[in-house]
Amino acid sequence: MNTGLIDGRHITKVYATATGPLVALDDVSFSIREGEFISLVGPSGCGKSTLLSILGGLEEKSDGTLVLAGKHHDAPRPDLGMMFQTSVLFPWRTIRENVRLPGIILGLDKKQQAERCEELIDMVGLKGFGDRYPGELSGGMRQRVALARLLAHDPRVLLMDEPFGALDEFTRETMNVELLRIWEKTGKTVVFVTHNIGEAVFLSDRIFVMTPRPGRLEGIVEVDLPRPRTMEAMRDPRFADHVFNIRRMLGVDH
Amino acid sequence: MSLVHANADDMPAPTGHESMIDRFIAGERRKQRRKHLLHRLLAAGFGLFVLLVWHVATTYGFVHALIIPTPLATFEATGRVMSAEYFWPNVWVTLQEILWGFAIGLASGVILGVGVAMFDTVRATIYPYLVALQAPPKIVLAPIFITWFGFDQASKIAIAVVMCFFPMFLNTLTGLSSVDPNAIKLMRSLTAGRWKTFRYLLLPNALPIMMAGVKLCWTLAVLGVIVGEFVGASAGIGYLIYAMNFQLDIAGVFSLIILLSLFTLVVYQLIEALESRIIFWKQL
Ligand SMILES: Nc1ncnc2c1ncn2[C@@H]1O[C@H](COP(=O)(O)OP(=O)(O)OP(=O)(O)O)[C@@H](O)[C@H]1O
Ligand SMILES: [Mg+2]
Repeated sequence: MNTGLIDGRHITKVYATATGPLVALDDVSFSIREGEFISLVGPSGCGKSTLLSILGGLEEKSDGTLVLAGKHHDAPRPDLGMMFQTSVLFPWRTIRENVRLPGIILGLDKKQQAERCEELIDMVGLKGFGDRYPGELSGGMRQRVALARLLAHDPRVLLMDEPFGALDEFTRETMNVELLRIWEKTGKTVVFVTHNIGEAVFLSDRIFVMTPRPGRLEGIVEVDLPRPRTMEAMRDPRFADHVFNIRRMLGVDH
Repeated sequence: MSLVHANADDMPAPTGHESMIDRFIAGERRKQRRKHLLHRLLAAGFGLFVLLVWHVATTYGFVHALIIPTPLATFEATGRVMSAEYFWPNVWVTLQEILWGFAIGLASGVILGVGVAMFDTVRATIYPYLVALQAPPKIVLAPIFITWFGFDQASKIAIAVVMCFFPMFLNTLTGLSSVDPNAIKLMRSLTAGRWKTFRYLLLPNALPIMMAGVKLCWTLAVLGVIVGEFVGASAGIGYLIYAMNFQLDIAGVFSLIILLSLFTLVVYQLIEALESRIIFWKQL
């Protein structure tokens, strides 16, 4: 059933290490529909970042097939965007110049980019900070800039590797709400890696639960909480049920 | 101090909250200034102390004037040397050698550093040789270079180039290699090729380490040229120092050393000023 925007079949990744081959991903298959919000959860070392890199075309897979929008996919492409746990802003560029970077690299229309980036800076709540440098901003503000930069070239798929993992609880929840707002407005397809089960349940349509050594896709949880979601969703009894189920799949209950 | 107060009094008195903040900022500035002044006084005091020890030791016969001249004699010698007819032509010779050696050493270090960092084939071909060439202390090359390039400026420039090259090469290579792996991932995900990755990420990211290399090279270029002039030359500051030492004009030697140090220091500070403009983001 190759019906999704992204279809992965039997994806396997083996790293050759000093101590022998290391199976980071073992026969992972999935299908992601256009506009879906997917989270990858699992303990450290289960291959979440590896899978995301393969989805981004940055890492070669050892085996299996990956199809994006009907075509074999194994190289970076401009309709994908990546965001990381650290903001990866360039300290020598202003906030505005950082957000403009994808457009410059991809050679997009300057005038359009200028307008779009200004809108994005406003949208992430940093109006008036365009001429500042990253060194003058707090960690949360920097991650907002990274979010604006992620959207600058209007990618179809957002690949986010624990983007809010280094933020404090309050900032993280604010960012979650904002990300949902942006996602609902733009209809992007999102693959979101997190350690935080509550965050995954709050954000996602479906959650891919992974287990380590070797990295396997243990199961997929459908989150049936209504959209659009607000913080209220966390009071829904189904929210706690999902969190509990995922914990059990990960074997945290004993 | 009184000037500052007079200015502050001229301004209309702010009220309430605003005046509280203004007073706080003014207070902080004053504290900063005082600390700054204190540090300068400490440095000046120590300098005076050293001068005093020097004066007492040489004037009252603890150290013979043929070994260390008195401060006064050194001061007089400085005037004598600087007004001598032979002084400026020799300065010009040495200055040219230093600047050429510095420039060529920097340029070759940067070019090969970039080559080795950016191209695997270049790295595989020349990197082992460059590391092996680094092993001997460069000074031992001075006599050989005099034989190869003669008594004139070329041999001094060559020594300075050899001294400058490796630190600049290594700092360029290190700077270009010490980059956040996620930043590389970001550039790759944006389909940036080698050149764009270099221009937008690797080069600016390398500048702080490269600038440290430039400063190191400056002192090494001066060192290389002076040593070269000691070993064999017919002009230049190193040659003058050598000649005066031979004639037991110790005060003259001291004055030249002091002038040379001042020159090196001033240029070093200029490079530092340039550095803080180039890598402005380090102070944010
Ligand atoms: N370049 C590499 N070379 C060798 N092994 C690697 C490499 N990258 C990842 N691995 C290994 O593959 C496994 C999966 O790594 P990965 O980074 O994908 O885990 P993760 O789920 O993202 O972990 P975390 O939650 O800690 O980020 C780990 O055991 C890791 O040591
Ligand atoms: Mg990871």
